[in-house]
Amino acid sequence: MTTKFSRSLRGKLATAPLIVTLGLLAACGNDEMAAPPVVVAPTPTPSPTPTPTSFDVGPCLNQVVPGTGGVTVAGAVVPDTLTLNLAADAGFPNGRLLADPVIDVTLAVIFLDLSRNGPGTLAGLPLNPSANDVPLPMGFPFLAPAQGTQVMTSPGSGFTFRTDAASAYTRVDRMGMPAVSTALIGSSQKNAYNDADPVNDADGDFVPELTSQLTGLTNALADDLVAAGLTPCARAM
Amino acid sequence: MKMKHALPLTAGVMMALAGGALYVTGAGVIAADHLDPPGRTSPANDATPDTAADIADIFAWHTATDINLVLTFAGPQAADQPAVYDPDVLYTINVSNAAPRTTPDIPVEVRFGQASGSNSFGVQVSGLPGVTGTIEGAVETDLVKDGVRVRTGLFDDPFFFDLQGFRDTLSTGTLSFDNQRDFFAGQNLTAIVITIPRDRIENGSNLVDVWATTARLGGQL
Repeated sequence: MTTKFSRSLRGKLATAPLIVTLGLLAACGNDEMAAPPVVVAPTPTPSPTPTPTSFDVGPCLNQVVPGTGGVTVAGAVVPDTLTLNLAADAGFPNGRLLADPVIDVTLAVIFLDLSRNGPGTLAGLPLNPSANDVPLPMGFPFLAPAQGTQVMTSPGSGFTFRTDAASAYTRVDRMGMPAVSTALIGSSQKNAYNDADPVNDADGDFVPELTSQLTGLTNALADDLVAAGLTPCARAM
Repeated sequence: MKMKHALPLTAGVMMALAGGALYVTGAGVIAADHLDPPGRTSPANDATPDTAADIADIFAWHTATDINLVLTFAGPQAADQPAVYDPDVLYTINVSNAAPRTTPDIPVEVRFGQASGSNSFGVQVSGLPGVTGTIEGAVETDLVKDGVRVRTGLFDDPFFFDLQGFRDTLSTGTLSFDNQRDFFAGQNLTAIVITIPRDRIENGSNLVDVWATTARLGGQL
């Protein structure tokens, strides 16, 4: 996959002026856009076939996430829990508030050399929407009211609750850190990952899978990170 | 046309990178945890998706006085759909405040119940530190007991991410990310919100770990 995206990007980089904005690109709707304004496009040079490079993501996993008091990326992801250091200010990855831009921060933390590009690098662009679509209340219950109109439940009492022990239930889903299961666990491991517990994470059961997924992503994207002026945390082997 | 914020080219590049990253993993949907694992909870991958047991997000944060826990599930869903209260699903917010960090020292269990033959649902929360017995009462209501506050109900989905841009980028090869577009906007989900006095969980200088699980009585759907 390096490949489709990288070539597409290289094409854009070769033909688009540096001041082209994403807004212009997105507004066009397709690649056959008219020449953007202020273009002095150099003649595109054919992109060389990318030489596959293999990366060691060890430096990524071992780098300390700034502001966490020494927690490494690996330590933040394994075991897969939200971790709260009550002595420090709250805010992802120290716990998780509703408004935290967790996807942009997570992508920065797993791909970038945090000594050069901080955890807020992508959130600062921002890469994704930077906030919820409706304001969040400051106080309890913190979530915004439901949007639209629905059939509401009726007030009542005398509810019947099941009394079966937890052991009578079958696991369906688990979650700690956002996007870890969705982005760093491959399809073949998904059910096993959701059936497991943090103790299994800590035993290292999924470290090979996490490392493999991150390596695959990095092999595909490292050249593009560099082209974007960023410094990947992974080291070419 | 909606105005879009101008971004440096770097932003566009990075948006493509994000799309690429997600593509590589083979994850059909990138989200916090919505619709994951796909084989159990996503309509695209499962004929009987367990929507009620599909965790969307777990949030946990501390203030000077409290620790707030928010578990969201069954979302995102269209704004005309009602809340999801399933008496056969056990929701557990696991809290560890002592070594090893992987043991659930404080497993907070949440169950929904129904008044017979009615569209009337209640919630029961057990395992809350410092609370005698359980906290029980109607959904969509603030329930307060022994210093702990609970509310369950339908809420706006607080997650934000340009999922559409991600899908479009994959299908067209065209940069389509837009940080003004939020796939989760205008959609709802069901949530459990709990505020616990901080001193019920704080244990010296120990780190506090939080994770959520769901399980279904009688096996997976």
